[in-house]
Amino acid sequence: MSSTSNETTAALVELDRLESEGVTAFETLTSIPDWEAARVVFLGLKQGRLKVAQEALKTLPGPDRKTYGQRFNAVKTSLESACDSAKTKLDQSVVKTAVIGEDLTVPGTARGFGRRHPLTQTSEELIDIFGRMGFELARGPEIEDTFHNFEALNIPADHPAREPLDNFYLTPKTLLRSQTSTVQIRVMEATKPPIRVVALGRVYRPDAVDATHSFMFHQIEGLYVDRGVTMANLKSTLRQFAKSYLGQDVTVRFRPSFFPFTEPSVEVDMMWDSSGRWVEMGGAGMVDPNVLKAVGYDPDEVSGFAFGLGIERLCMRRHGIDDIRPFYQNDVRFLSQF
Amino acid sequence: MIVSWNWLSEYLRLEMPVDQLTEKLALSGLNHESTDDVGGDLAIDLEVTSNRPDCLNHLGIAREIGVLFDLPVKWHDPQPKLIKSAKLVTSLTQVENLEPALCSHFTARVVTGASVKESPWWLRKRLETLGVRPISNIVDITNYVLFESGQPLHAYDLSKLTENRLVVRKAIAGEELVAINGKTYKLQPNMLVIADAKGPVGLAGVMGGLETEITSGSQDILIESARFDSISVRNTSRELGLFSPSSHRFERPMDPEKTDWASRRCVELILDLAGGELAEGVIELGGGKRQRQPIALRLSQIERVLGISVPQSTVTEIMNRLGLQGGDTTDVGVSTWAAPSWRSDLDREIDLIEEVARVYGYEHIPEDKPVPLAIASRSRRERVETGIRETLTGQGLYEAVTYSLISEELSKPIHGDLMEGAVPIRLEHSSRKKETTLRPSLAPSLIEVRAYNQSHGSDNVSVFEIAHVYLPRTDQDLPHEPVRVSAVCGGDWRIAKGLAEAVASRFQVQGLLETRLRTSPVWSILDPLASAELYLGGRRWGVFGNMTKEAQQAKGLRLPCAILELDLAPLIDQAQLQPQYRKLPDQPGVTRDLSLVVPDSVRWADIAQVARQSGGPLLENVEFLDTFRGGNLAAGTQSLHFGMTFRNAERTLSGEEADQAVGEIIRSCSESFGATLRS
Repeated sequence: MSSTSNETTAALVELDRLESEGVTAFETLTSIPDWEAARVVFLGLKQGRLKVAQEALKTLPGPDRKTYGQRFNAVKTSLESACDSAKTKLDQSVVKTAVIGEDLTVPGTARGFGRRHPLTQTSEELIDIFGRMGFELARGPEIEDTFHNFEALNIPADHPAREPLDNFYLTPKTLLRSQTSTVQIRVMEATKPPIRVVALGRVYRPDAVDATHSFMFHQIEGLYVDRGVTMANLKSTLRQFAKSYLGQDVTVRFRPSFFPFTEPSVEVDMMWDSSGRWVEMGGAGMVDPNVLKAVGYDPDEVSGFAFGLGIERLCMRRHGIDDIRPFYQNDVRFLSQF
Repeated sequence: MIVSWNWLSEYLRLEMPVDQLTEKLALSGLNHESTDDVGGDLAIDLEVTSNRPDCLNHLGIAREIGVLFDLPVKWHDPQPKLIKSAKLVTSLTQVENLEPALCSHFTARVVTGASVKESPWWLRKRLETLGVRPISNIVDITNYVLFESGQPLHAYDLSKLTENRLVVRKAIAGEELVAINGKTYKLQPNMLVIADAKGPVGLAGVMGGLETEITSGSQDILIESARFDSISVRNTSRELGLFSPSSHRFERPMDPEKTDWASRRCVELILDLAGGELAEGVIELGGGKRQRQPIALRLSQIERVLGISVPQSTVTEIMNRLGLQGGDTTDVGVSTWAAPSWRSDLDREIDLIEEVARVYGYEHIPEDKPVPLAIASRSRRERVETGIRETLTGQGLYEAVTYSLISEELSKPIHGDLMEGAVPIRLEHSSRKKETTLRPSLAPSLIEVRAYNQSHGSDNVSVFEIAHVYLPRTDQDLPHEPVRVSAVCGGDWRIAKGLAEAVASRFQVQGLLETRLRTSPVWSILDPLASAELYLGGRRWGVFGNMTKEAQQAKGLRLPCAILELDLAPLIDQAQLQPQYRKLPDQPGVTRDLSLVVPDSVRWADIAQVARQSGGPLLENVEFLDTFRGGNLAAGTQSLHFGMTFRNAERTLSGEEADQAVGEIIRSCSESFGATLRS
């Protein structure tokens, strides 16, 4: 085929060289970046060697162009195929490298997050359960006057519970509330029955601090006043609460007790497993007629029940905590457990 | 109250197992603490609630058991024997009561020629079961009758009483008494004492005096059985820190009919166990029965309170067993009752209803009577608090709960400045030595938490708390208790401020947030050059800043930390709890960023404001990126680097349009602040 010109012959040699160099290059690649570089060198759209070879076509004499064009197409196919198979091979080898090369048993890197205090978690759960039973959250001041902390709760002036040493007085007439029952009074003063509220918050008693006592702790107190409220309603409400909180059927037991602001007054025990063990949960009772009178209700018209539960005690029991003090120490090693 | 099984058996036939007895007692109000085997007897510890002082003795508990098990209770009316030649008690002693208001009943009986010796085995054994140490027959008898009837007694050696007489009076300032426990007490003029002609020989209702106590040689014995005012006894006890089985009972309502009974019972036992002769008669001052109104009990009220109906016959039986008298039915369904002398707690109809419930049994009250459906909704405050907790825990902070009471020391960094001169609220007195002050801020407690954690291996703990603080105010009776959130975190003020911004964003009010600088320091624990106030919608929201190096060192904190404290009220009022949907833009935005060199004194907030004003209608957002000082920048200048987003809601924005707007911003900043582009 001497019919082709010298320059065409040179161009065809160049095509052969391009093919052999390109195929070799793609076959010997070991990494994706190298492959990318090779692809640009040989198949790059702007200045790749194949592109240059294609441009060369225009400079050849007309009769030779067909020959060159056929050869060019063959080289193009050959290089593209080498390029594709190299990529496939590399992709597979990357997977293999990962299995061998990376230790996937090392821990991941999560963003750190904090926790709500366990007492908050318990409180929110209680508010939620009682909320579903129609009890709205009510609040009252932690610094109370003696009327709301005592008189209105049927604790008269000479009652031992009012002793200065048993309370945190700020002045002879004001003190840190010793129970959340004060909120009952404030709600009843401001509202006409029916009333259905829970009050939750801090209360203060000058107990020496040990594993089960704290001079500040949290209570939740429920109050329901309406026409025809009975102790059967009280027992049923507490049973429903316990069923929801403990997630299983529960039996409620009342033991007589004494609180100045309720009568009858009871301690509430609950039993929820086959152990036959009664666990003390809190105090409750029917609102004392004197308390109803103190807020201007007629005890012959309306009746009500009240109950109080200790948040710390519920939280400790739920999480198996045997000491009250860590709640207020706030060691993150403690807080991060809940 | 510890009771002896054998002792109780004197009053009724205890044929049930002890566990059955204690269980039934627990379920009717006498909580069972423990049962201990004490050498052939059982010591049963029962918790007696403050409304049932009648159960602070064996007879009372026996009565209660009698009610619960329907058993008859035997107890006799003591009639100590007199011999014919007995002297008149008034010839041996006199008693004068100067304080009838504080001593409503006083009795004295005298036995002469008794022999003081060891008590017989049965008596010692009884007392030992209760944990009471036997002393001598006379003293043991007074203790025995106390634990039998609940009436405290005191035995004096009559020969040691100056002029052989007693007077009930208040102490005179400066008087002292050596009590039988050997300790000397300084008496105050408000304390009621029993005195002889010389001075006090006993603290009324609390404890007798050592000098006139019964000793081995005593022969003539004066037995005092009296009723003292409960508050007077309590006050004396408290003031002297002196508590006794006697004061414990006198602090509570007493059975008025036991005063004389116990005196006779005591004398009867003395004659029996110590011999001697009883003087004829009794010196009795005051006394008399308490007038009590009969109580009307409506059958319908029982059902109205308990939610169950109890038949009239059952009610009557329960009342009778409890020792109530009467039961006359005037109207249909109404019976009238008189409470026995020992049940001081039964005055009202509701008291009787509780007795019916207690004895009939709470197990009869059903637990399937739920309350009717009602709606409860969560308040704005609850929802805001929940959102804050979500946001701050999401930022990696732990929630703490710390005491509302803090030391005065801890309240110091706050008062004076934030409190505008007001002094934090202090307790009148506190059982806590250190914690005497109601905290006016949460941050100091959280700094303590950080320090506590550092000393327990966690150096860089970030915590927050939502709680009330307590601020004095003069316009209302009670102090102000605003609720706050405070955070103490590792790092600098930008982290603390970022927490506030995150909270504001959570409630879609970030646009209302404003930083205001103060010329005077916000708090003494905050670095004046690295702290400021935050405002939300024009209302003061709180403070943030770096803790000063000095304060940090004072607490021994190794790593720098920042503080944030916000009032919840401005957020509760303004929080967007129902965010409104904003359509996402259809058109792409164009972003540009700028580094402008301006004098150090120029604030980012000023640059941002000028940029927003001059950026034209296409400018959507201006965002701070960073500040740079030094390098090739001239001294006293800084480079503020910020980003801008431009968008046309209708069509795709061209780069040229954005560049034009940026040009405007540069020009305005140059005019306002002398800003130049950083090369």
